[in-house]
Amino acid sequence: MIEELRKKAEELLKNDTVKVVFGYGEGSVPERTRPVFITKPEDVNKLTWNKYCVYNLTTYLKRQETRKLGKPAIIVKGCDARTIIVLLKECQLKREDVYILGVTCDGVGDPLATKCKACDVHTPLIYDDLVGEKIDNKEVPFEERYAELDDLEKLDEKEKWEFWQKQFSKCIKCYACSNMCPLCFCDRCIVEKNQPQWIDSSAHARGNLSWNVTRAYHLAGRCINCEECQRVCPVDIPLNLLNKKLAKEAEKNFDYRPGYSVDDELAMSTYKEEDNQEFFK
Amino acid sequence: MEKLLNKNKFDTLIAGLKKQGYKTVAPKKDNRLVTLEEIQDASEISLDHVVTNNSIKEFFFPKTEKILSYTIDKNKVEMEEPKGFAVKSVIFGSRPCDAFSLPVMDKVFNWDCSDKFWVERREAITIVTISCDKSDSYCFCTSVGLAPDAKQGSDVLLTKISNDEYLVETVTEKGENLVKELESVFSGPPSGTPDRQVATVEEKFDLKKIKPWLDENFEHDVWDDFSNKCIGCGACTFVCPTCHCFDIVDECTMTKGDRVKNWDGCQFTMFTMHTSGHNPRSTQGMRWRQRIMHKFKYYIEKFDSTLCVGCGRCSRVCPADMNISEMLELIDTEAGK
Amino acid sequence: MSKAEAKPENQFEPKIIAFLCNWCTYAGADLAGTGRKEYQANVRIIKLPCTGGIDPLFLIKAFERGADGILVSGCHPGDCHYNSGNYHARRRWNVFRPLLEFCGINPDRIQFSWISAAEGGKWVETINGIVDAVRELGPFESYQKLNTIGPETSGGATDASSETG
Repeated sequence: MIEELRKKAEELLKNDTVKVVFGYGEGSVPERTRPVFITKPEDVNKLTWNKYCVYNLTTYLKRQETRKLGKPAIIVKGCDARTIIVLLKECQLKREDVYILGVTCDGVGDPLATKCKACDVHTPLIYDDLVGEKIDNKEVPFEERYAELDDLEKLDEKEKWEFWQKQFSKCIKCYACSNMCPLCFCDRCIVEKNQPQWIDSSAHARGNLSWNVTRAYHLAGRCINCEECQRVCPVDIPLNLLNKKLAKEAEKNFDYRPGYSVDDELAMSTYKEEDNQEFFK
Repeated sequence: MEKLLNKNKFDTLIAGLKKQGYKTVAPKKDNRLVTLEEIQDASEISLDHVVTNNSIKEFFFPKTEKILSYTIDKNKVEMEEPKGFAVKSVIFGSRPCDAFSLPVMDKVFNWDCSDKFWVERREAITIVTISCDKSDSYCFCTSVGLAPDAKQGSDVLLTKISNDEYLVETVTEKGENLVKELESVFSGPPSGTPDRQVATVEEKFDLKKIKPWLDENFEHDVWDDFSNKCIGCGACTFVCPTCHCFDIVDECTMTKGDRVKNWDGCQFTMFTMHTSGHNPRSTQGMRWRQRIMHKFKYYIEKFDSTLCVGCGRCSRVCPADMNISEMLELIDTEAGK
Repeated sequence: MSKAEAKPENQFEPKIIAFLCNWCTYAGADLAGTGRKEYQANVRIIKLPCTGGIDPLFLIKAFERGADGILVSGCHPGDCHYNSGNYHARRRWNVFRPLLEFCGINPDRIQFSWISAAEGGKWVETINGIVDAVRELGPFESYQKLNTIGPETSGGATDASSETG
């Protein structure tokens, strides 16, 4: 697989199809990889592929420093490819401006990442080129996909509040979650605006609740649960539980899962006349 | 003063500290991280780690704190300064790298004005450091002039000499007083030369070569090349024991408000954004350069001290695997050319 | 309980913030007023052009500043002055409400309704309903504990976030 990836990358750079390849390289320790940006064909040996390739590299499609390297070929797993579909739908990207080098994947992370346990995109749904043995994308039932939420949903109101207050009290407002998230691409995030200050930038209980709830809400119907936010959180807040809850509600109420088809309408930009309104008086 | 402390006396020690009115902070395991937090008894302590996820910085310089509160009533403004923020505490289980950050930060917090929030907490808190008996590949304290059993910044230093026993060395008067207060917990002094079980931390780069190279290479491709993967979050600056930038914000309603001091980080895009819209550090390369320059050049010029203790926390938490010691090794190599 | 009967002393009076759309519910509330209909006075109205313009962040801000309950009300589906604003709003609340519930906020503190300009009576009913419901639930203490603006001595609650304080 690694050889095939390197060969493809070399080809793409040599015949100038792309100016840079976003991929995975060796990390500072054997249990990590890191994002690499290959601009010269002779550097393709820096590319690697192993179970530590957890990053969602699509986040670099939003950053000016990596955008200015030129048209990229980006190595994506099935989950990452879903992000590209959402970015295309949200007009953040033109299809012709990115070369998608898909890789088939049967799970990353050691121990296996939670997202991989219910994966139904072992083979990416969008790509220009595919590397690796094609793996069948088996459908995973609804309950299994959101099983992670079961324990928390069983708690009563007070226990839920205490759980999240404890988690949010750890938050240091480093914004690693939103900086890493490929779909948090606002030039100026709402938390950075201070006329007025809608979300307190302070890391106190009020500011932390406001920030985490708002960020989760802004990802409703968009987040594809790559779990990067949770991975990068320096204080180990289970952020993906919030995002998964919203994904569950979006699917339950609107029969919508983001990132599966370029032809789907975005859940929050559209509506149906028969949308649920049981809770309206 | 030298004494001995047996592990089986930990609960007496913690109970004793509580009785003497100290709030005790120690490493505690929480899911997959070990963090320094307040504990009530010794059973909560976990010592099987290299460094805790958080540094001791937050106990002297919290992530958010009110520095002033006020109420407005017709023509009157009444202000209230916070009291009682300096709580008599013991941090039990700091690491030498953490402890050393305190005298380093003392310089900037007592520079052009004395930051009472820092100073009063420094007086109220006693540091009991435990030397490192293991390290990992992220540690580089020895490259910045420290050691896994360095004493600077600590009030008391504990070093493992056997599976159950620690050598206790008091470093300051404060430390000596603490040991005297809880005399019954300690035994010794040790006989002969104790077998200090201290980790080996390989030197990774030559600190003496770094500043001269930085002096000459403000413009260099390496700044952009190395920082391409950086996502511009604040994780590294916030977990760092020596990063001390802060932002002051006002949080208020029509009738009352607070002036609040929050951690800030030079890696954020908006950190140097001017009201005019101009941003002097508009690319991540410039911001990464600032981080290295501040720690290994500017702070030395101002305060004759490196603004880094080699704990490696920044590199451990970095979402994109930006490794600071790797950067410094690169500079060391470049400097040698 | 729509007449202002003799209320027991020291009864908790909830603060209800109502985000209303200008064309329907606000007009409905106006109609209740011109019709001299009495209802509990606990509501503070914030008028917006359309429910489609209500950012869920407004609700969080309302709770931060001391609201015990919130009402969001607009035109009936199909009757939006701007055609589809209320449809988009409905979608938003479908995901935001479960999110708040997931975080431990009682969903009965946030109520939604469609009230048209002609429904002065429904306005009165809805307000009395939400005031009674939130009175039952009591003050939103858990959120208000987070509202720590101001000096400790003046009633800004103790700063629970200070690490060493």
